[in-house]
Amino acid sequence: MSAITTQPAQPQPQVDVQTPNVLDFLRRLWRNYYVKVFIQGLITIWAVTTFTFFMIRQMPGSPVEAKIDELMTRQAMTYEEAYRATATLFNFDPDRPLHLQYFDFLSGLVRGDLGDSITKGGVSVTSIILRYLPWTLFCVGMALVISFSLGIVMGLAMGYWRGSWFDNLITTISSIISGIPDYIMALLIILIFGVQLQWFRIGDVRGGVDPNITPGFTFEYIASVFKYALLPMLIYVLSSIGTWTLSMKSSTISTLGEDYITVAKARGLSQRRILTDYVGRNAMLPLVTRLAISVGFVVGGSVIIEEMFQYPGLGRNLYIAISGRDYTTMQGIFLVITAAVVFSNILADLAIGWLDPRVRLGKQEES
Amino acid sequence: MIGFETVASPVGLVIGLICGIVPLAAGIHYRRLRAGIGGFLACTLSGFACGFLGGLPMIALTYAVVLSYAYVNREDPFTSRAALSEVTFEVTRAEQFQRTMANLGKSLRASWKALVRNKAGFLGFLGLAFFAALTIFGPSLIEYEGQAHIERREPGARALVAAPSVEHPLGLDWKGRDVLSHMVHGGQRLIITSVEAGVIATLIAVTLGSAAGLLGGVVDQILSTIANFILTIPAFPLLLVLAAVVDFDSDFMLAVLFAVLNWPTLMRAVRAQVLSLRERDYVEAAVALDLGLWHIISREVFPNMVSYIAINLIFTVRIAMYSIVGLVFLGLVPLREPDWAVMIFTGRQQGVLFLPQAAGMLLSPIVAIALFQLSLVLFSRSLEEIFNPRLRSGL
Repeated sequence: MSAITTQPAQPQPQVDVQTPNVLDFLRRLWRNYYVKVFIQGLITIWAVTTFTFFMIRQMPGSPVEAKIDELMTRQAMTYEEAYRATATLFNFDPDRPLHLQYFDFLSGLVRGDLGDSITKGGVSVTSIILRYLPWTLFCVGMALVISFSLGIVMGLAMGYWRGSWFDNLITTISSIISGIPDYIMALLIILIFGVQLQWFRIGDVRGGVDPNITPGFTFEYIASVFKYALLPMLIYVLSSIGTWTLSMKSSTISTLGEDYITVAKARGLSQRRILTDYVGRNAMLPLVTRLAISVGFVVGGSVIIEEMFQYPGLGRNLYIAISGRDYTTMQGIFLVITAAVVFSNILADLAIGWLDPRVRLGKQEES
Repeated sequence: MIGFETVASPVGLVIGLICGIVPLAAGIHYRRLRAGIGGFLACTLSGFACGFLGGLPMIALTYAVVLSYAYVNREDPFTSRAALSEVTFEVTRAEQFQRTMANLGKSLRASWKALVRNKAGFLGFLGLAFFAALTIFGPSLIEYEGQAHIERREPGARALVAAPSVEHPLGLDWKGRDVLSHMVHGGQRLIITSVEAGVIATLIAVTLGSAAGLLGGVVDQILSTIANFILTIPAFPLLLVLAAVVDFDSDFMLAVLFAVLNWPTLMRAVRAQVLSLRERDYVEAAVALDLGLWHIISREVFPNMVSYIAINLIFTVRIAMYSIVGLVFLGLVPLREPDWAVMIFTGRQQGVLFLPQAAGMLLSPIVAIALFQLSLVLFSRSLEEIFNPRLRSGL
């Protein structure tokens, strides 16, 4: 395209030859499955971001009012004092028309700039996200890996030896713990093991890391990070492992009915080989898709759990931003969460095509 | 909403007793006294609980059950002793009505049997029945304590919260009020709002899903796009934002808001099922016989989806309760006592979370919510058997 526009002196016929080529190229690009999915994903992200942009600004109370309120209650200022303090603090003009704010936001977004936080003066939203995202990724992601792998192994064993005492026991436990909401489980653990039995001090597990240890790549620091993440992680694992286990079990049972398992048994293959290469790999397929989709929800973390443990993750920051009406931060976190969900869905789509040749071939015939 | 927020009342008891006369009379008439008395009790209870709203439907159900014990289907050659020449195929209105009622009663009994046979499901059912009884009959037994009772402070104690005692079986809360009274009075609104949210979400999902599946074309494309769009939005964070936007004067609005955000998953499933059912042989046969759209939907398509929809309804109710309690826990919706979730919120806000003697105040709502959710999960296990005629073996 640029070739045409920069050379206006080109004779007419050449343009005629070139244009169909560009269009043709675009059309072929659109027909490419991956490009199409990618562009659709971008459109979805844009739509969701726009929707949340306007939703967020419909919330009653502006960040200015929220800050004035906070200053008046926390530091016992009068309204006038609080207003002046807030006005100097914020670089946010609530009277600017909404559509102009929106265009500011979009133009910033294209340049990769999410703007500055409204309530924390001079701190960019990108830096907030980059600072807190690793904590959530570490804690929730780790829990996801643990619960997925444990669930796969247990579900496989339960499906293969179904009806055994192990199967019955784990099925009962799984259905019980998967029925209890995660924050209820967290409260139960705090109340029973923390307050009543005093196995740990509750003040010790609030936050992300021991504030007295200097951050660095030392054993002490890393140990502290793990120690503080242990309880939230345990709760994430407990609240999700039941679902993984039960789905893996039912997937295993349906795979066991396939002809190729009978053939494998008839060939006299060892039980271990059948279990891992024939049953496990095939039974895992539907779960891999769901794993990829869950990866998208890792980023959002859990607002309630993080708030409960004061864990310095993205979810807790979203909650703080919502209570403080910090529009730009909210906007940025929503964008990250949405992008994660959209791209993990695409990833799930690609992963299943890559893992399962049947799907891959079907897709090619389709397009 | 209005009818179900009533608690047990003397008027309801009278209504229930009057309603109970119908199955009792039917039982005496057909010499099925045990079924008749059972029907009488069921009618009395449900009338007591919900007034006309509970009593009148119960008349129909119990009457159907009583009738199903006594009814002999004369059209059925296996039960009829009459010679073939004597069998008449002319059906009067009354007979038609009786046969419909008897069939209804029969399937009710079969469902009940399926429910009892599935141990986990029955346990869940008992749990739900317990919570229903607690929130409906409890308030008339135990009075609600809304005022602070400072005089209950133990000598030398720093807080009003107290561990369970004989006088207050679940202890005292941070204002010195009886926790048991809050437990009894605080569950109804939470449960009803969750159920409303689940029902509305399911209604939207089923309507739009069948519309998309049956109509296809542009309608399908538009609805699917909207569903995918909503699925991409992080639901709970958006609910946090919307909770501030919408002014929650009524819990109904909260239920609607939840429903608007949570219908797409079920809608896509219903759409897929309608699409696959449309291709089945028996549906094509019904279309070929020109049985009419209504017959096809209600008799051929819907029965195949009802268990799935019911299970999803329960699932949605669970998520709704999760979200509502979560919203209250974060303090993002107006707090109104008595409410289980508000008990947890104030417990945490007042800093009594770390007092050992506050266990009664905090554990009670926590355990109640956990048990309610658990009952829902267990109950949903037996729904498959209740609604699937192939799974419940005949009587």
